[in-house]
Parts: sequence; structure tokens; C-alpha cells
Amino acid sequence: MPKESSNRIDLLQGTLDMLILRTVLFGPAHGHQIAKHIQRTTDDVLQIEHGSLYPALHRLERKGWIAAKWEPAGKDLKREFKYYRLTAAGKRQLTAEESKWKQMTGAISRIMWPAEET
Amino acid sequence: MRWRRSERERDLDRELRADLELEAEDQRASGLSAEEARYAARRALGNGTRVKEEVREMWGWTRWDILVQDVRYALRVLRKSPGFAATAILTLALGIGASTAVFTVVDSVVLKPLAYRNSGELVVSWERVAFLGSDPVGPNPRHVDLWRKRATAFTGMATMSQGASGLTLGSAHPRLVGSVACSANLLDVLQVTPLIGRGFLPEDDVKGHDDVAILTYPLWQALFQGDPNAIGRTVRMGDTPRQVIGVLPASFRFPNKNALRSYRSKQAESSVPEPAIFVPAALDLSKYSWNGEYGNRVVLARLKPGVGIRQAETQLTSIQAQIEREMPAGQRFDKPGVLTAFVQPMQEAMVGDARTGLWLLMAAVFGLMLIACLNLANAQLGRALSRQRESALRSALGAPKWRLVWSSLTENLLLAAAGGAAGVALAAMGVSLFRRSSPVDLPRLSEVHVNVTVLLFSAALTLASSVLFGILPALKLLRTDPQASFQQGGRAPCGRQSKRLRTWLIGLQVFGCTVLLLVTGLFSKSLLNLLHQDKGFETGEVAIAEVRLAGGAYDADANRAAFDDGVLRNLRDLSGVRTAALVSAMPLEGESWIEDLHRVDRPQQEGPLINLRWVSPGYFETMRERLVAGRFFEERDRNLSSAVLSEGEAKALWPDENPIGAQVETENRKFTVIGIVADSHSASLKAAPVKTAYLHYKDRPPYVTVFMARGEQPANALVTVMRQAIWKYAPDVTITRVTALDSQLNNSLAAERFQTFVLMSFGTAALLLAMLGIYGVLSYSTITRKQEIGVRMALGATRRKVYALTLGEAGYPVFAGLAAGFIASVAAGRAIEKLLYGVRPVDPSVMLMVAALFLAAAGAAASLPARRAASVDPMEALRSE
Repeated sequence: MPKESSNRIDLLQGTLDMLILRTVLFGPAHGHQIAKHIQRTTDDVLQIEHGSLYPALHRLERKGWIAAKWEPAGKDLKREFKYYRLTAAGKRQLTAEESKWKQMTGAISRIMWPAEET
Repeated sequence: MRWRRSERERDLDRELRADLELEAEDQRASGLSAEEARYAARRALGNGTRVKEEVREMWGWTRWDILVQDVRYALRVLRKSPGFAATAILTLALGIGASTAVFTVVDSVVLKPLAYRNSGELVVSWERVAFLGSDPVGPNPRHVDLWRKRATAFTGMATMSQGASGLTLGSAHPRLVGSVACSANLLDVLQVTPLIGRGFLPEDDVKGHDDVAILTYPLWQALFQGDPNAIGRTVRMGDTPRQVIGVLPASFRFPNKNALRSYRSKQAESSVPEPAIFVPAALDLSKYSWNGEYGNRVVLARLKPGVGIRQAETQLTSIQAQIEREMPAGQRFDKPGVLTAFVQPMQEAMVGDARTGLWLLMAAVFGLMLIACLNLANAQLGRALSRQRESALRSALGAPKWRLVWSSLTENLLLAAAGGAAGVALAAMGVSLFRRSSPVDLPRLSEVHVNVTVLLFSAALTLASSVLFGILPALKLLRTDPQASFQQGGRAPCGRQSKRLRTWLIGLQVFGCTVLLLVTGLFSKSLLNLLHQDKGFETGEVAIAEVRLAGGAYDADANRAAFDDGVLRNLRDLSGVRTAALVSAMPLEGESWIEDLHRVDRPQQEGPLINLRWVSPGYFETMRERLVAGRFFEERDRNLSSAVLSEGEAKALWPDENPIGAQVETENRKFTVIGIVADSHSASLKAAPVKTAYLHYKDRPPYVTVFMARGEQPANALVTVMRQAIWKYAPDVTITRVTALDSQLNNSLAAERFQTFVLMSFGTAALLLAMLGIYGVLSYSTITRKQEIGVRMALGATRRKVYALTLGEAGYPVFAGLAAGFIASVAAGRAIEKLLYGVRPVDPSVMLMVAALFLAAAGAAASLPARRAASVDPMEALRSE
């Protein structure tokens, strides 16, 4: 897999889970939608390799944070996609990870840009 | 599991395909051609197989996959070395088979509770009588009567005595069955209800109303083919007609006469029929004295729930003290404390002496199993070392260590499972064979079969053995350093550590083997002692026939005497018979008819105890016993009151004087001593000669008579003609056994023979295994040390030196193991001391023989690899470097 753009950022360990949970907070989505959503929202800065997306989805499902269901979709509802939906446990997990993330970014920025803080 | 997996797999496929399609559609929408779009979509997804693998790992069921993989791999590896696999499986099958078989017997005989309801409450109550020695004996019926009336520790107490009698239905020939004469409540105490009909009522247990019988299921089947109308029919037991009132359930088991002996020092009888008919004893207590009649009955009782055995025993002992005080004046003892009581669980009473022997066999078979496992461990260790490059390669390619260990354990588990399955099949076969034709009369033999406990045991054993012989090689893999093992080139590295490990294994094997051989040696020597000791009589060419005369006409002494005379005449008339005689007790079946006997001029209240035997003239001549003084019985003694004493008894009564012509008194009658016979082991080969007094048979013609005849040819020819000679005189008597005295002697040593035989086969197997182990280790180390040996020889070492070097390698573990084995066998010897006759637990000659045998075997096993090492060509060895 050739590296296409230099502005692509490798995801920090563990952040993908948080991003997925945040994405399905809007409503049920299938794998492709989730990948596309993250890509589009970050103006293609975060390009999700589907290869890492699916193991992550199955891991989250196993932990009970999201639930999956095959549902018909598309214009004529002829095709079925596997939709992932946030569970109650997933919502709690998301809140926890969000606050952890905020703490971390806050801490990092205090070191990087001390002037702005004062 | 599998179908769920494939469903998930399809699910994942579908999900990823949908992703690819959507991505391709997106790309097409942005203007790419269909082909390019598909390509781009694949690129976006990444390596599909890897994605799937990662997802699968998320599912967490790869363990199953790994197991399947490992099993396949192990099967492949084993198929590549079929010789090793076959040897390993065979070794394990034999080891597990032998252990399972022995355990089956131990479990059914010793461990499993008796097959009665709440069998833990069932006890046997004995009487201890000070002047009868320390052995508990079956109690006096009057004493039991008071126990039953006064003791509160029991819910029920029953008495019974066992015998054998001829049973006839209609006009059929009598068949010999085991009979139990019991108090009416025996079945209630056992909590057994008849399958059909009724149990005994108290009214049945009264003389005159006691002509009833309850049959066991097998006898009912044999006599009446399971016809329910058997109830009410009449069978003839001996001379007495009895009405069948009930049939016991098929699952009912009752210990035979040997298993529940009324006198514990009594020896097991050969060929005791299984109890098949139960009749009321209908004891008339007024006929019994307050002292005596010991050792004829067994008291079975059921403890009240919550009452302990010691508590019950204390209660009975205090009743015994009351009995001593209440005994009629003439029979009272000189001092108190003569009578006490002993209560033991029924199971313990039944299993008794079989227990030690069985545990010994169990220990021996475990030792053998351990040695077999050590051998396999050694072999596997060798294989692991030679496959080190393969595992190094796997490790270098990224296989985690635990996978290597696991896959090596899988191989062992497979071997063990195959061996275990074959072993259980072998054990089941062996056990059923053992039950059908057991060389020893074990209590509860009919209950011996493979059950769930046994299967669990074998499964545990299989697992344990696979871990035992698999864990060392597996752990070896953990230490594998891929780099080092590649640097070694093609040579299999043989580190110092692994060598030390294998040396230890050899030492352990030698240790186990030594202990086993020493115990075997002790048993063999003990058996030889028993067979070759001076018995005091000669068995060859003697045939014996036991006859039971049943009540009726034979209740008159004169009729029994006439019968004896008639049969003796017929026997003496037979061609080929040199001498014929009779005796009142079967030889080699222990003490019986124990009485006290004292000099008439020195009356004693409690004289020394002797065995009384009623014999005919010619008895000592037929047995070839040695006359010490005086004379043996002659025809004229018929009208005299003569007695022949055994030498020991004569010495005890007359230490300094000549007893011939003196008078002795027993059973309130006086006899004149006419002769002294040398002490003999005719009561038992396993005990010291018993003090015996012999009386002429006309004094009290026995009901159970053993006729004996010494012929000119081997005794087997006499066996048939003896039976005919007896029936010629009286066709209706029950002949319970006809056999050669030699086989009666062999029967009396059956348990010892069997134990020695089993131990010998275990010992031989252990020795072979140890030899194989030594050979394997040495030949392996010779191969790996080829270069070293080459260098040594190039530097001037002689072939002799190299030979000695290799032998020396085996020397340390062999000698250390031998020494440790000797030390441990001292403890083992102590544990089995009771089973040995004429052998001390530490026997230098046995030790010497075992050491010599072992060193010879070890030397033989080591010499082949040593010779191979000595014949290494230094040039060739160095060139192959």
C-alpha cells in the first residue's frame, strides 16, 4: 500500500475505537459508511484502512459496546448491509473515552503551547 | 461449534464483499472505469485474508483452530515415525491397562461401599476371649442373646453361620450349594426385601417351624428357571425338606464363608460355594453352655444412625462384664475381664487380609507405570532434541513459544489417549477373565467390574502420564535458542543440561525398578520357603475326598462310624491304594476344633489350647508323618481311649518326663497318651505347627469327614475311583470335594502364588523398560559425541578407554538409583512384612541377587552403545565435522 499523501496521520492507539463509537452515536451505520464518514469529516486527513476498521468493529461488538444487525438498505431496499448501532454500554464507554481524550489533549497542549494557556 | 463458525465466516465474507462493492461504486461515481474501481476498492480494504484473520482473532475462537492444527500436525509427525508411535502406544496401553485392571479390583473390593442400603451402618460384632488369644472370634450364642436384649446402640443384630449342603429338587441329583443359617432378622438388618414371596418371620426361627428357605436369584433361576410359582414348592436340603417362601433380588450379594470367617485365624477354605439358600437357624439356647461354642457364628448388626463404632463396642464390652457376673456358678471364670467385645465395619471384616495384598499390587503397578512414563519421557526428550532445528525454525518464523510447547503436548496427549483407550479395553478383558477364573478367592469377587469410577481413574491416569512424559521435552523447547541451534550446523545439540536431565530420568527408573525387583524377590523367596520348608508330611500320591453327612439317620454316632468303616474298607480294597485313612478336618485349612487340654494329674481351669482331630488308624502312615515316641493308632484303639499328641504339645505338658502312658483330659473325658508325632504344618503352611491332639474316630465320628488314600501312582488316578468307592457304600451322601492333596496344598498358597506371579511379571517388565531406557540414552549420547570421541582417539585414547567412558556415563545413575532403591525397599519391606513367611523385610541374599541381576542387565544394555562408541573411526569422525 503506497503512501499517497503526506498529510495522512496515523491514528493513535485506541483512538479508532473512540471515533467509531462517536460515529455511530448519530445512528446505525455500516462499515463502509463509518469509514467514509471519518474520512470526509476530517477532510481525508484520517484515512481509515478498512483492514483495521473491521477487526475493530468486531472487537467492539464482542465487548458489547455496539450491536450489529443485517438490514435492507439502498433505493429499492434490495441489498442488505450489516448496521452497527451504539449500545448503552457503548455510550458510557464513549463518555469515558471522551473525557480521557480531553484530559490528554489538554495536557499535551499545555506543554506545546504554554503561552496560549496563560 | 463448527456450524456456528462457518455461519460467522459467511457473515464476515458478506460484510467485506458489501464494503468492496460500495467502495467500487463510489470510485466509479468519481469517474474511474469499472476495472479500476474494483482495483481501488481492494486497495482501500487492504489485505483481505489478513483482515479476516484479524477479525477471527477478535472472535476468540482461534484456539479451536490451533488445536485442530496441532492435532493434524502431531498425527503427521507420528505417522512419520510409526515405530516410536507404536512402541509408545503399546507401552501406555499395557501400563494403563494393568493399572486400570488392578484398580478395578481394588475399587470393587476395598473402596466401593457394600451393596446394601446405608451400608456404612453395618458392622460385625466379635467377642474377645482372653484365653483364646487376641484374635476376635464369633461369639457364643448365649452372649449374643444378651447383647440383643440389652444393647441400645443397634437397630438390629443378626447371627448367622455358613455351610455347604446338598440341595435336591424332586428326584434330581443333589447339587452343592452354600447355605446360611441365620436369625429371622438377618434380611431386615441388611435392609433387603425379597423380590417375590416373603422374608423370615420370628415364628420361622423356632425349632419345628423352621422348615422354610429363601433362595438367591441365581439359585431360583437354576432350580426353577425363574418361575414365580416356586414359592410354596419344597426342596430338600440334606435330609430336611424345606418350603421355599421367598426369592432375593438379583442384585443381592452376600459374602461367602471365606469372606466373612467366624474365626479370623481360620484359613480360607478351597472352593467355597457361594451362599445360595437362607434358612432359619432356630437355635435352642438352652442347649448351649455359657462358655465355648466360640468361632462358629458371625454377628451382623446395624448401628443406630449417629452411633459410633467405639461407642457400640464400649456398650457390648460392658454387657460382657455383666455376663461374666451372671454366668452360672460352675462356669464362671476365675478372674474378671476375660470377655470383651470388638466391633468393626462389615466391609473391613470382609476385606480384611486381602487389603494389604491389593494395595501392594496397586503400588507395584503404579511403579511400573511410572517407569514406563519415564522411558517415554526419555524417548520424547531425545526426539525433541533431534527436532530442535525444526522447532528453532518455527520459532524464528515467529511461532510463539507456547505454541511450540502446546503442539508438543498435543502429540503426547494423542499418544496417551490412544494408549489409554487400548488400555481400558485390555483392562475390561482382563477383569472379566479374572472374575470368571480367579486364581485367588477374593471377597466381593462377583462385584468386580469396570465402572464409572474406574473410567475416571483411567482418564486421570492417561492425562497424568501424558503430562509426565510430555512436560520435560516440552519445557526443553521453551529454552530453545534459535540462533544457537542454527549455528550448531547439522548437528543436534546435546546440552549439558539436557544430558543431566536424562541421567536423572535413568536414575529414577533404576530406583523404581530396584524397589519393584526387591519386593518381588522377597515374595519369591517367601513362596519358595513355604513350598520347600519341612512340612512334616508328604503330599505326593495322596488323594482326598471330603464327605458331609447330613442329620437324620447319621445323627446316631454308630451309623456314622459304620459309614466310616465301610468306606475305609472300600478304599483299602481299591487296587493301587497303599493306605487309606480318615481325618475330621481338611488339611491346610487352618485351626479348627480348638479345645483346652490338660494333664489329669494337673487340672487347670484354662489349659493350653490345642486342635482336636479324630483320625483312623493309618492316618499318620498315609500322611507320612514321623513317629517320635510310642506308637500310632491301631485297630485295638477302637475299644480304648487313646490319644496321640503332637511333639510341641507333649513338650509343653511334660517338659522333662516321658508322657507315654500318662493321661490327659479334654472335653471332660480322659485319654491315655499312646504316641507322640513330630510337629507338622498340616493345619497351615503359613503358620507355625499347631499343637494337636489326635483321637480315634470312633470316639466321635465326624459329620464332615476327609477320606484320604495314598496310591502307587500319582494321586489324580485315584480321584475318580475314590468317589466311586464312597458312593458304592452309600450312594446318597454329599461328596463336597475330591482332589489331590497336592492341589489342596497349592490352593492354600493360591494368593501367594498369584501375588508372586503378578509381581514377577511387573518386575520383568520394569527391568526390560529400564534396560531400554539405558540403551536409548547411551546410544543417543554416543551419536552426539561422535566427534568428541574422534578427537579423544586422535589424541591417543585407547578403545578400551572410550568403552569405559561410555559405560561410566550410565554408571552414575545406575548405582545411585540402585542405592536409593535399596534404602526405599527397607520401608517397602516393613509395609509388607505381614505377607512374608520366613523372610525378613531386609534380606541380604535377595538384595545381592537383585543387585547382580540389575548390574548384569544394565551392563548388557550399555555394552552395545559402548562398543559402538569404541569402534568410532577417528578420521571419519573428524572429517564429518
